[in-house]
Amino acid sequence: MRFESLRESLLKGGIAPRHVRRYLAELTEHLDDLTEKQRAQGYDGEDAELRARALLGEDRELAAAMLEQKSLHSIPARAPWLIFGLLPPVAGIAAAFALIAPLALIARILHMAAKGGILAPQWFQETAFAVTGVGNLALAPALAAGFVFLAARQRISWLWPLLAIVLLALMDLQFQAHFPPAGHRGGSLSIGATTWIWHWRSWLETWPSSVARLLLTLLPGAFFLRTRSLVGQ
Amino acid sequence: MASESALAAGLSELMVLRLLREQEMYGYEIVQAIALRTRQALTPGEGVIYPLLHALEKEGLLKSRRKTVGGRSRIYYSLTARGAKRLSAMTDHWSALTGAVGAVLHAV
Repeated sequence: MRFESLRESLLKGGIAPRHVRRYLAELTEHLDDLTEKQRAQGYDGEDAELRARALLGEDRELAAAMLEQKSLHSIPARAPWLIFGLLPPVAGIAAAFALIAPLALIARILHMAAKGGILAPQWFQETAFAVTGVGNLALAPALAAGFVFLAARQRISWLWPLLAIVLLALMDLQFQAHFPPAGHRGGSLSIGATTWIWHWRSWLETWPSSVARLLLTLLPGAFFLRTRSLVGQ
Repeated sequence: MASESALAAGLSELMVLRLLREQEMYGYEIVQAIALRTRQALTPGEGVIYPLLHALEKEGLLKSRRKTVGGRSRIYYSLTARGAKRLSAMTDHWSALTGAVGAVLHAV
């Protein structure tokens, strides 16, 4: 692929991927125009291409021009501590609320909530169990995968996504839905985030799902490290 | 020298803004226009114009749009109102600077 080493230099230098993409697209178009001009001037085939490439500039020069524009650097590259250190807990809590909010809204609209808990029909209970199940097993792993994707896309040091993953794993987001037998009041929907190290007893009580959640959260990190080591070989 | 590099960067910005005041252009056209008007006096690698265009756009001095002409899709740049203001300020500054340097060079 054209400009592959330039792409790597720019991404490793912290340039935002969208600027890299656009820069390479523009360079490709520019190179085509230059090649066409060289042909029009009588140079043929490889000669025209080589002259055009020289006129465009060396990779080193093209990379330096982009890297010195600080405004084109991505936020994760400029402040990785913000994206991979502070954002994971905030994103975790926001995503948990986003997942549970529609259920709370439905319960409110249909007047299920009242003193003494939720009086929930069967379909709502099933939906709530499905949502909490997905939340328990998939939310933290999905967020972890997102941070890994972000780091891989921007060639950011592996330490940063691992920090995000560790924070998510420590946070241990949990969703719970409890309902009494149909027709009885007293059900509840709850979300919580707690460091399992402090609540290891309750963590052990539900160990199958706790361990599954922990492993799934760590999985994107393992995949990331594996991919990095393969690329590095 | 850092100051020379800053001067060259300012000069490139001034020329780009001035050219785009006349009409919207894509990168290759801008480079060719600069080469023509400066009689090839400024010949950096042609590709280095794009980081400057991106940065000026990010600053709100330029805007861009993708346009297909003659079967080829290109990104055209044009000046914004903010860019026009910057151009005016830079032109005044540059005129004052060249006047001052000229006065020193041509002093008897």
